[in-house]
This record gives sequence, C-alpha cells and structure tokens, in this order.
Amino acid sequence: MRPTRLLKTESFRSAALFATLFLILSWVLLGVVYWIVNDTQKSALIGAVDADINTIRNGYREKGLSEAIEVVQQRLGSGDYTGADLPGGYILIHDAASGSRVGNLQPMTPQLGLFSFPAPAKRAHDVTASVLGRGVYIADGVYLFVGRDTGQIAATRLRILEAFAWIEAVAMVLAGLGGIFFSVQFMRRIDAITRTCQSIIAGRFSDRIALRGSGDELDSLAAAVNNMLDRIATLLDNLRQVSSDVAHDLRTPLTHLRNRLEEARQKSVTTDDYAAAVTRSIEDTDHLLVIFAALLRISQIESGSRLSAFSVLSLSELLERICEMYRPVAEDHHQVLLQELRRDAQIRGDGELLTQMFSNLIENAIRHGPSGTRILVRLDVSDNVATASVEDDGPGIAVEERDKVFRRFYRLTGSRSTPGNGLGLALVAAIANLHSAKIELGDNHPGLRVRTCFESAR
Amino acid sequence: MGIHGEFLYICNNLHARKPCAFSPLWRNVTDVHILLVEDDVELAGSLRGQFREQGYQVEHFTDGDSGLASACGADYQVIVLDRMLPLLDGLSFVRELRARGVMTPVIYLTTMSGIDDRVQGLDAGGDDYLVKPFAFAELLARVRVLSRRPANAIDAPVRLTVGSIELDLLKRTVARAGTPVELLPQEFRLLEYFARNPDRVLTRRMLLENVWGIHFDPQTSVVESHISRLRAKLNHGFESDVIHTVRGAGYKFLAPN
Repeated sequence: MRPTRLLKTESFRSAALFATLFLILSWVLLGVVYWIVNDTQKSALIGAVDADINTIRNGYREKGLSEAIEVVQQRLGSGDYTGADLPGGYILIHDAASGSRVGNLQPMTPQLGLFSFPAPAKRAHDVTASVLGRGVYIADGVYLFVGRDTGQIAATRLRILEAFAWIEAVAMVLAGLGGIFFSVQFMRRIDAITRTCQSIIAGRFSDRIALRGSGDELDSLAAAVNNMLDRIATLLDNLRQVSSDVAHDLRTPLTHLRNRLEEARQKSVTTDDYAAAVTRSIEDTDHLLVIFAALLRISQIESGSRLSAFSVLSLSELLERICEMYRPVAEDHHQVLLQELRRDAQIRGDGELLTQMFSNLIENAIRHGPSGTRILVRLDVSDNVATASVEDDGPGIAVEERDKVFRRFYRLTGSRSTPGNGLGLALVAAIANLHSAKIELGDNHPGLRVRTCFESAR
Repeated sequence: MGIHGEFLYICNNLHARKPCAFSPLWRNVTDVHILLVEDDVELAGSLRGQFREQGYQVEHFTDGDSGLASACGADYQVIVLDRMLPLLDGLSFVRELRARGVMTPVIYLTTMSGIDDRVQGLDAGGDDYLVKPFAFAELLARVRVLSRRPANAIDAPVRLTVGSIELDLLKRTVARAGTPVELLPQEFRLLEYFARNPDRVLTRRMLLENVWGIHFDPQTSVVESHISRLRAKLNHGFESDVIHTVRGAGYKFLAPN
C-alpha cells in the first residue's frame, strides 16, 4: 500500500483532525495550569516574605534596632534562607542613622514595594533565577528588604512544561499510529470490495464480498452490494433463460414453416396446391408474429415503463365489460360465464393491460374447459384489498405445476396438443407484477381458481 | 346518391378550414390520392403496386421533409406514413402537418408496437396505427375507411340511418324497417361502427380496436361470436343478411333496402 494513498484515506484524515484538536486543547490546558501554579506559588512566597517583615518590624517596635537585627540573624540561620548550596532567601536591613547593615545581600538602593532582581548567586544552568521580595521602611531611616529565590517556581514551571511536552508527544505518536492502523484496516476492506468488483467485471459472477459479521457500516454496505449482485444475477439468469426459451420455442414453428414450404416445392402440382401451401405458410408466419408480439409485450410490461400511464379505474366496470365481451364466446363453447361483482372497487392501474390480463384468464378457462364448464368471475372487496378471481370447474392445474405455468413458453403436460404459445400466463404474471397485485392459483374443487389481489385506490 | 352526396359535400365544405381538408362521401376510388411516405423502398414499391391495382393514385416519398412539403401542397385523401423516417420522423411530421392546418387523415406504419408508442402517435394527430408486418388487406380496409371519413368530423348526429336500419345514438335503440331490435351494449357499439362505415370491409382487428378498444389478439373467437349474435338479431324476420363475411379480410355492412 503506497504511503500517499494511506494519507489520503478518510480514517487517516479524521485521526489527524482529532490529533490537531487534542493539541489545541492541551495547549489551552497547559496555559491554565501554568498560570494557576505560578500564581499560587508567587502568593505563597509573598505571604512568607510579608510574615518575616512583620516579625522583624515587631521586634524593632518592641525593643529597637538591635532586636530587629537579632531577628534578622535568627531568620537567616533558619532553613528558609540557607538552602543546600545556595541561599533560599535574602534579607537586608540598613539603618541610615547608624549606618549599620545586616543581611546576605550587597548594599542596594532602597526600593519600596514588591520587586525582583537577578539572583546574586545562580546555579550554572538556571539563567532565569531571580529574587522576588518587598522593600519597606520599618521606621524612619530603617530600610528592610526581604526576598526569596524564585528558582523553585521556575523549576515547577519547567516540570509542567516537560510533562505537557511528553503528554503531547505520546498523544501525537498514538494518533499517528491509530490513524495508520485504522486507515490500513479500512483500506484492506475497501480493497477487498474493489477486488471482488473487478473479479465480477472479469466474469466471475458468483463472487461475493466477504462479510466480517461486525454489522458496521462497511459490512452493511457489503451486504447491500451482495444483495444487489444476487438480484442482478437472478435477472441475468432470467434473461438467459428467456433468450434460450425464445430461440428454442421459435425453432419449432420455423421448422414447420420450412417443411411446409419444402413440401410445396416438391409435391405441389397445380396452382391450387401452391395457393393452399402459401395460405398455410402465412398462417404459420402469423403464429410466429403473435409469439413475437407477446414476447415484446411481456418485456415492455416488465420494464415498468407503463407505470406512468396508471390511473384510477373501476375494477367492477372493467370486469363487467370483459364478461359481456366473453359471454357469447363461452356460449358458443357451450359453457356458462357468470359474474358476481358485489361491490365496486377503485384501483390504480392500466385499463388496457388489466383488460388483457382478465381476458387471458377467461380465455384460458374457455379454451381448456370442456363443454358444460361453468366460469365465474368474482370481485370481493375487504380492508382496502380488491380480490378479483376467475373460477372454473374445468380440468384445473396440478399442484406441482402451479408455480411453473407463469413461466414463458411453459405448457401443461396435457395441453401441448391444444393451440397456444405458452405465453398467456407469463403475460398475466407480468401484468399482475406491474400492478403489485398478488396472484395465486388454487383448487376450485374441481377446477382452477385464479385469484388476483389489488390494493384499493381508496 | 348524387344529390345526397352533393349536399354532404357542401356541408363538408362549409366546415372545412382548408381546401384540402375534406373528402366528399361519393368520391370514387380512382379519385382517392394516397401520399405514401416510407423509406423502406421494397415495402413502398409493393404497397404502391397493390394500391394501384385497387385503383388508387399513389405518390411516394422516402423522407419526411419532401413528404411534408407534398402533403401541404397537394390534395390527398389519406397519408400513409412510416413512423421512423429520415430527416423528419413520423410524429414530428404529423405535428407539423396539423400545425399548418392540414387535416388529411394519417395512418402510421410502424414496427413499434408498444401501447405508449400508439398513444403518442394518435396524440400527435394521427388517425390510425398499423404495426408492421401487416396484411395488405388490413391496410387497404383502413385506408378505405379513412379516405371516406370527413376530415373535420361534424358534430356526431343523434340518429344514424343506413338503408332501413335506424340507430338512435342517444337512446341506444335500433330498428330495422321500423321493427325494434333489442341489442346488448357491445352489440350496439358493433352495429354503430358498422353503420358509420357501410359498404366497407372492416377487419377483425379494426373491430377489436374500435368497438372493444383492445389492441391484442384474443385467442378465442370474440368478434365472430358477437357478429353471429348481432347478425341473428338484425336478420330475425328478414330475408337479407346485413353483415357479409369477406373471406380472409373481414366483414362488410350492407345497407338493406
């Protein structure tokens, strides 16, 4: 995996973004901690300095200068001021009248209030060390300065800075490693998907993206892609099936036609013979054209382009019209076509296609039923569902064949001799599908019951 | 017939918006000029020959532009138009033709059998639609009906009288020589279509399209069954048959005396 590609990944970018945010936050935190610690330590230092000034001033007030000098010397001997190698603090008392000066500082120009100056003694590495203290006159002409070395505060500040530097360094390294880790993980899975896609492009249609089972977003994407591939595979299979069916089932009528023409060439003697052969050949051609038309219609319906022509229509009126259309046909076959359209049902659909669908169902009942067959067209409406059914007491369809009859070119085992192209019910299924209507074949005891369930438009 | 025809001619003339936009009822076949716009030269040659055998005058163009120019310049009774043409396709041809006020009936020839294609074709201003391949008899029957149809349909009359048969289109009643005939709604529609096109061959497909509004081939004898019932009802008590079967072509309604 190329590093530049890694740096471009979304997970690496988000890791970098979060690392930057963390850095900014830690700087703010550092500033706050730095300020608080510095302030607290300074206040403590000033508090200690002021306490010493008070003690010395009290000594002076009670017993005079000698007492004050006594206290100063006492304080200088205490741990606060001695320190291990360097003085921790500095005191200077100077009486202008007597000129006496006591303390561990060089004489200095009296200066009042809080101030600081570079420490007279420094550790070699500590260039910033300074003395912070307060200068006061405890009496006329008696100047007192008490101060402390600020090295301690500086050391604390340094430690805080060091600690933050470490924290940030570790955080940056972790963010970088994490970013690379997640990017590599992400890239691996994306690469797996890409590889699968390329393999499918190369022709291995059965390949699918491996799922990790973690249920994360990449997994659900992979699952969706797999489902899509399954659907496409089914459609492709259908298409392949249809093409081979078409090629196969058109071969039979074409062979008939060819044989007939050949026979005409060999055996016909008179013009009448030829005329008869031509008439029958035209009939064969017409039969072929009917098959083509039906196939085209099915594929046109399956493409779903007719959906735009849908409108609200009355299913009962439609069925009534179709019944009126086929009643004489049934009578001519010595059959009875009855209707039981109890309630009106409005559905959304394509009137022309629905007419063809119910016509096909009724024609099937007429053509496959013997004389005396009773055909009943029914419409029931309940709970937003309009159920239109065509029932007959004819030969029916065996249970194991019921699913297959909706396939293109499927002919029932017993019906191969009757005219038909095996496309009628495939067309019915395509039209029902387009209307999202459920279609089921059932037993009418005896006979066939075809039920189509539509969603009501109201 | 002459006076009757002349009267209708005047009526048509009064209602016609353009000089070429009418066709008198008594016109002889030889007076019928057909404009054929078809780029398939082989098919066009065959159609032209067969139309001429039937006594029609045929002008043929192979592209939409020159066809349209001719359609607007000369007086044709029917335009037979291929749906897919070079330079100007069939749909645009008809839209342009109607936009220029020419109301000559148009029948499309097409390989596009989709429902949408048919609806589009008729919406554009076409009058009929025939899917290739077709039998010449089918095209001939349709051309005959179209060439006699007044291009500007005058408001539908309330009564239709053909010979001794009288239809009341409002009350939906029929009488033959004054004797009422009881018809079912679809039988009435069938008779009405026949009565509007007397003495012309009407094919099975024309009847299915115009009477039942269906554009697929039923696998059963729908047309035959209805015609036999209509025929039985109309002929009941009369000698002459009003509906003739024309073998291999269709049916013809003969006005009885």
